[in-house]
Formats: sequence, C-alpha cells, structure tokens
Amino acid sequence: MANLKETILNPILKGNPITVLILGICSSLAVTVELKGACVMALSVIIVTGVSSLICSLLRKTIPNRVRIIIQLVVVAMMVILVDQVLKAFAYAIDKQLSVYIGLIITNCIVMGRIEAFALGNKVWPSFLDGVANGVGYGLILIIVAFFRELLGSGTLFGIPVLSAIGYTNNGLMILPPMALILIGCIIWVHRSIDKSIQEK
Amino acid sequence: MNTNSNVYTVIYTTIVCVLVAAILAFASQALKPMQDANEKAETIGQILKAAQFDFDDSSNDAILAFYKENVASAILVDATGAKVGELNTADAAIYGTSDLKAQNYGVKDETEYSIPVYIFKNGTSVLPIYGAGLWGPVWGYIAVDKTGLNIVGAYFDHASETPGLGGKIKDDPGFRAQFEGKKLDFSDDKTFSIVKGGAPEGKANAIDAISGATMTSKGLDEAINTWIDAYKNYLNKAEEE
Repeated sequence: MANLKETILNPILKGNPITVLILGICSSLAVTVELKGACVMALSVIIVTGVSSLICSLLRKTIPNRVRIIIQLVVVAMMVILVDQVLKAFAYAIDKQLSVYIGLIITNCIVMGRIEAFALGNKVWPSFLDGVANGVGYGLILIIVAFFRELLGSGTLFGIPVLSAIGYTNNGLMILPPMALILIGCIIWVHRSIDKSIQEK
Repeated sequence: MNTNSNVYTVIYTTIVCVLVAAILAFASQALKPMQDANEKAETIGQILKAAQFDFDDSSNDAILAFYKENVASAILVDATGAKVGELNTADAAIYGTSDLKAQNYGVKDETEYSIPVYIFKNGTSVLPIYGAGLWGPVWGYIAVDKTGLNIVGAYFDHASETPGLGGKIKDDPGFRAQFEGKKLDFSDDKTFSIVKGGAPEGKANAIDAISGATMTSKGLDEAINTWIDAYKNYLNKAEEE
C-alpha cells in the first residue's frame, strides 16, 4: 500500500481542500477570529470527515446506488449533530461561539465530496485516512489564518496576551471577515509559489 | 443481491433512518443533564452580568456559587405587583428562556402572569424581558437599583439574529453600556425607547438603535416595554418603600 502515504499527504498539500480546491471558504472566514474556536472547528471537521468516510466506506457495497447521496447525507448529518451535542455538553462556551457553523459542517463540500469521490470506491482504512487527512488539510489552514488574525487583531494567542503585552495596538480589520479572505489569498499565493505544479497554465 | 431493486432501496433507507434516529435519541438523552446545567449556568451568568457583577465565569460551579453568595431572594410577581411565589435561591433556581416564553403570552395580553425578580444583596434587582427579534426570540435582563427606576445595566441574548447586525444586542458591549445610568419613565408614552437614528440628546429613557438592525432593535424595544410595563406595579411599590 504505497498509496497510503499519498492518501494522507495529498489532501494536506497538493490537494488541500481550502487553498487548492477552494472548498469550505465560508466557514473558514467565520470561525478564524480566535485560535481556540479554530482548533475546535478543525477537530470537529476532522472527526466528521473521518468517521463519515469510515461509515460510508463500510456500507459502500450495500448502499443502493439511486439513493446513495441521501444515505451519505444521513450519515454526515448524524455525525454533525453528534459533534454539536457533545460540544454543547462539554464545551458550551465554544459551541456558542461557533454557533451555526458547527451545524453547517454538513454543507461543507469537503465532507460529501470525499465520501462520493473516495470512500464509496475504497476500502475502509484508506477511506478513514482520506477523511481525516482532508479534515487536517482544512484545519491546518484554519489554524494558520486564526493564528495571524488573533495575534494581529487582538494581540493574543489562545487568549493569552502576546503582542498586547508589549504595547501593540490591535488592528481592528483583522477581526473582520474580509481580512480572513485576504489572508487565505496570501496562503494560496505562497502555496502556489512553492509548489509550481498546482499553478494553472 | 440486487441492491438496485425498489424493495431493497426502501427497506435499506428505512433501516438506516431508524438506526440513525435511535443513535441520536440516545445521545440526546445521555447528554441532556450536562447541556441543561450549562444552559442554566449561562443564564445565571447573564443575570450577573446585567447586574454589573465582576465574577469568575470560568466554570459552571463558580458561577452558581457566586450567584448563591450574592443573591438575597428571587421572587415571582404578578400584574398587581404582589409577590406570588419564590424561587429557591439555595438551588439557584431560575426562570430559563422556556419559562419566560411561557409567561410571555400573559405578559403581552396584560392578563395573568407570574414573572421573576432577582434581588441581590447590594440592592440591585434584575428583571428578565422576552420578545421577538427578526428571526427568532430575543431575551435579556435589565438590572435596576433600589428605587426600581434607575438602570444599572443590561444584558441581552438571542436565538438567531444575524451575527454582526442584530447579533450586536449581545456581542456589542457598547450597545449594552448605553443602558447604564438610564432611567425607566412610566409617565412617558413609552417607558423606554430604542430610537432609530439616535436618541434625542438628554433624554434619560432612550438609547440609540443598532444601525443595520432595525427589526431587531424594534423587537427588543417592544420586548423591553411590554415586560417592564408588566413589572410596573411591582417597581412603583419598590420606589415608595
């Protein structure tokens, strides 16, 4: 299984859901104001993509072809609700802060996209890894963006004063969603200048 | 087996849906006590924030302990302003949003209701309010001093107002801060106004609405006026004392 490494690395680098496939942009603008929220969101997406891919891959030979999207949707929806319920019980403040965006993981094209494109045609273990890796690829960008936004926007990291402790004036623009878009644009730019193979001709 | 036959498809989807429903029902039942405890602590935290307390909100226990330590009594009052019941402060019993919603019908019709007043040891009383925003319910807490007419502070929350616009009733500390030092004026047409385009200079019972959130501001304005008027007799009694 030489492909396993590829399965894991591809979604994080060459086929990153956010910077290359441009999926999941909406939520990445909304939940990256603070690192803590971004980390919880990243973890939630990793769990949802991983476990949904695993379940759908387990069921792949039994799923009736005509209703496969609906079955995928039911599985993903179940995972999203479970994650939301668990967060409400154990991390209430963060769940409130992420508000609708946890529920909206279900509309994140990464989840359904990976199930349809990968999990339905592959064995359980690679499917699970593919789901997790795509979640990681998404989460990684989220955390990078949140790092800069929280550091420059609030002067803190994980709520601990870093720049604000040495007299930095907070940049209010960093808190606003447009700045996340600009930051993601910068990451895409950097990513493409390093890896020339993903540049469009 | 033919996985594309109609019978198979129907049976398969039915089984999947029943299974998923069972899993979700089980998860919901198992997690409910913890979720309720979180919700209660959050509500108490909002009551305390409205009353301008500075407290440790890092854990549910800390919030409950602080509340129990500082609350003098929590009573239920009716339309005449008479005390008709009491909430157990040792248990930190409160009226949650669903309880407020249940009372909202009586409050709106000005008929029968029993609504809570949280009285703290430092003389501050916190009055809940409840109403309709643009997309869903809005509710909150208005803290008044001993006379019952001077506003000490306020805190609002909402179910589904637009983040960044209507959501500002909760997220914008500047909006909340406007309430501090304002007055309730029962002799005016409206006891308290949230004015679109800016409150008139020097008017003690009005504040600025949120720009871009006209409907939410209107809804909150109505919620405050209906509920505060429901407390009118109680507050007038408080003032005389």
